[in-house]
Amino acid sequence: MSDPIKFRATVKGSTGEVRVLMPHPMESGLRRAPSGQLIPARHITSVVLSLNGRPVIEGALGSAVSANPLFAFQLEGVKAGDQLAVAWQDNTGQRGNAETVFSAA
Amino acid sequence: MKHVARRHFLQVFGSGTALSLLVGSGLLKPGMALAVDFNRSAFEAKTAADALRLIGAAGAETSPDILIKAPEIAENGAVVPIEVTSRIPGTTRLSVLVDKNPYPLALQFNFAAGATPTFQAKLKMAETSRLRVVASAAGRHYTLFREVKVTVGGCGE
Repeated sequence: MSDPIKFRATVKGSTGEVRVLMPHPMESGLRRAPSGQLIPARHITSVVLSLNGRPVIEGALGSAVSANPLFAFQLEGVKAGDQLAVAWQDNTGQRGNAETVFSAA
Repeated sequence: MKHVARRHFLQVFGSGTALSLLVGSGLLKPGMALAVDFNRSAFEAKTAADALRLIGAAGAETSPDILIKAPEIAENGAVVPIEVTSRIPGTTRLSVLVDKNPYPLALQFNFAAGATPTFQAKLKMAETSRLRVVASAAGRHYTLFREVKVTVGGCGE
């Protein structure tokens, strides 16, 4: 949980490629511990990706997203130095965020 | 000008209740145009038909302009890599459903201007199932599905 978000943004021409890995257990609430008890649901429910402070991609996630969600996105009209931010929130209210800048590929 | 852009964004994505939560958290500065307007109850639907109805895409028409890259056979249902792209002009939302999962709706992404309607993600699949993508553009919904065989399921046990 405390592992930092891995966030990479590279730009080729004016196309930006974004990869983000958010360490999170993404527990579905359907699994049982060896004791037989259900493991409570704990998964990211929303993700927002912002370019220079403007949200460009917003996501709603269910529990079917694999543990430690890894996403790749594509943005147009970006240049090296543009600022990118990602923020997530889970169903327990926990949050995480990270920032990076686009670098030339 | 800024206000107009924000209004446009809200019109595209609708106004969201999650907005106030995130603003209240201090994570986002007020004035940022965030409006995650998703129907959370769709994520609790237990059948694909219910989930489709709740995301408003029950009557989606099949489109060859949706591209799905997914393995034909996934050995590990806990991590099934997918890549989804919509070539439908004006696509603002992509939704992914795994029909036979306990909760079929897996994720949804909204794309604002400047964001290409494409993404890669990794999903859990409980068993061999239809993987269904819905692309939403200008209030209309389009869909395409792909069958993915799962050797070892990745949801319960």
